[in-house]
Amino acid sequence: MIDRREALAGVVAVFGANLFAPLARAAAYQPNPVINTGPPAPVFTAAQRAAVAALSERVLPTTDTPGAIAAGVPEYIEHMMGDWAVDDDRATILGGLAAIDARSMADYKVPAAKATAAQQDALLTLAMNDQLTGGLPFFTAFRQLVISGYYTSEVGITQERHYLPVPGDYDGAYPYSKVKRIFSS
Amino acid sequence: MAATDRFDAIVIGSGVSGGWAAKELTEKGLRVLMVDRGRMVEHGEDYPFDGKPAYEIPARDKMPAALAKRDYFALNGWVSPATQPFFINDRLNPYDYDAPNKFNWVRPSVVGGKSLTWGRWSFRWSPADFEANKREGVGTDWPIRYDDVAPWYEYVERYIGVSGGKENLPYLPDSEFMPPFPMNVAEVWLKERLEREFPGRKLINARLSNITEDKPEQNRSRCQKRAQCSHGCSFGAYFSTQAVTLPAARATGRLTLRSDTWATNVEYDPQRKRVTGVRLVDAKTGRAEVVPARMVFLCASAMSSMHVLLNSRPADSQRSWFHSNGALGSGVMDHIFRVGVSGEIPGMTDLVEFGRRPGGVYVPRFRNLVAEELPFKRGYGYQGQAFRQAAAPEGFGAGMKHAMREYGPWRFSMGAFGECLPYDDNRVMLNFDKKDRFGTPLLRFDVTFRDNEIKMMDDALEQGQLMLRQAGLTNVTGGRGAHVPGEAIHEMGGARMGRDPGTSVLNGFNQAHDAPNLFVTDGSQMASVSCVNPSLTFMAMTARAADHAVKQMKAGMI
Repeated sequence: MIDRREALAGVVAVFGANLFAPLARAAAYQPNPVINTGPPAPVFTAAQRAAVAALSERVLPTTDTPGAIAAGVPEYIEHMMGDWAVDDDRATILGGLAAIDARSMADYKVPAAKATAAQQDALLTLAMNDQLTGGLPFFTAFRQLVISGYYTSEVGITQERHYLPVPGDYDGAYPYSKVKRIFSS
Repeated sequence: MAATDRFDAIVIGSGVSGGWAAKELTEKGLRVLMVDRGRMVEHGEDYPFDGKPAYEIPARDKMPAALAKRDYFALNGWVSPATQPFFINDRLNPYDYDAPNKFNWVRPSVVGGKSLTWGRWSFRWSPADFEANKREGVGTDWPIRYDDVAPWYEYVERYIGVSGGKENLPYLPDSEFMPPFPMNVAEVWLKERLEREFPGRKLINARLSNITEDKPEQNRSRCQKRAQCSHGCSFGAYFSTQAVTLPAARATGRLTLRSDTWATNVEYDPQRKRVTGVRLVDAKTGRAEVVPARMVFLCASAMSSMHVLLNSRPADSQRSWFHSNGALGSGVMDHIFRVGVSGEIPGMTDLVEFGRRPGGVYVPRFRNLVAEELPFKRGYGYQGQAFRQAAAPEGFGAGMKHAMREYGPWRFSMGAFGECLPYDDNRVMLNFDKKDRFGTPLLRFDVTFRDNEIKMMDDALEQGQLMLRQAGLTNVTGGRGAHVPGEAIHEMGGARMGRDPGTSVLNGFNQAHDAPNLFVTDGSQMASVSCVNPSLTFMAMTARAADHAVKQMKAGMI
């Protein structure tokens, strides 16, 4: 038995890209659309990607546990921007990156990605205090992206925090003193 | 399906109600065909995200906004990649409403229906719930009372397992309980203060279909406190068709289950006043056939059952066989839902939670239990829980990261579910100008909340904040969202039970007045909706109807 979708997919192959729109939509019929889990749709230029990585690491740096880069946060952010964000969201992030880069060039003669950690911290602080164009909206959104990406990553869930995959029991008065890393939710 | 196949009964839908119908009818000796429009999901093996942390779920379990808006708009942002496989694609399966009166119709896409993703709160309705319509002169009187249903509550509770605490409250009858999930230390603190400050009001354990003791005879283990229920639970720790009723029905050897099969209408013989079979469409091939049966249990979920009933009509008519008195489609209800309050509980910072419960605590209805001067009828209950999250420091960098290694204060939040009244002009109908991919006219909603519902939401918001403030919480906030009917996913009514065949669709045993071999046992039967969650009542009513149906069949009346 050949199902309708396979049959139409064959039709698409015959007509190539010029398929009449309703036919194309029917061929694409999927009861459960697939979410992109492969490489993110490219959103950033190489320079922007480098800046996102460097700045995310300053938001959640490597300490006694891995930081944002090791946790895959930059890739997560590009995923969010490519597959999740609407245009206004992208404008907030891309605009903020441009403002930070411009300030970095003016103050340090290098793009933000090449600035020192202390200089990057200074740039993020300017954004946080809304002393750059679009600074605070960028900082708020970017910080949220880094935090949500980090604490949903394997590093965040299993190293930075204590993951109980199958707690088995519940104790609603468990001594905090026995908690070495707070529990992943 | 071979033309020689004959079934004693066809069950349309395999969710909470359909699964119970299949279990009861097969166990009583009937050969049953159960159909579901959704794809097959086998217990355990088809739960792809069971036990998976966020990083093993596509997109860290965040739904792309554009996809949610385009394909899953009825869920209004609540669908996630882990639950998406269980929900229907709204774009490909449209329904109809007038733009200002939006209805968010949440539909599953799988065998098991919403039993895989439901909230699992399980309550008996009270005697007052079945009496309120008559006492207040609202809607139509129920043909049954609490005592008619009570033994069937007990019957289903013993089988599925309901956790909770005995309270002896006349307005919230106890179930046959397994031990409750315990309150945490902050909830115990709140209970003591709230009940002292507000005599007569209670804060009690959640009542859940999550079991706290093993049921080895059903291959089910007690809840493991993972709080991932809607991913599907291989432990079978909460009630679902897959974990509970489907294995029982299959064990009889008398069940035939067909997934990917849409029921478009029942076939009807107006001379004999009997349904004769069901028209089924194979979702994969589009092929239609009529499968005969001696009786039909319509358990497609309230509004899908309305769709089937409204579309069961003579070939040359737009009027359903079951619409002779004009009641069919009338009195559609949901619960009020979009009211929430929260606040901070001081102290107890040396204690935290270990494990993740599937539910917390409940503030049962306290309004209009006795004569009160309130601007609205009926009442609402609050579901909530206390919890601690990571501290929320500001800024960025190593200081922030390490500060997030501490817990913040105890917080408590709760949300209200309230009873909506039945209004005849809150209704569904067919739109013959728009058809779905199987050629069936779309179901069209004309449902709005009225003055009573709005005033109840106002009161719930005010009282919720008052209770938390007076109990000693700080930073108490509350909000009332724009509530689109359907969002509580407790849509009910449309084929109400009644004493009078002139104003109702079903009799007191869920039989259609116009066809005694047609039983409708899902939410569409409701003449009113209580303020508590309805699924346990669907189960009890379905088991009761199945018992009656088989007795009637054996007596030669069907």
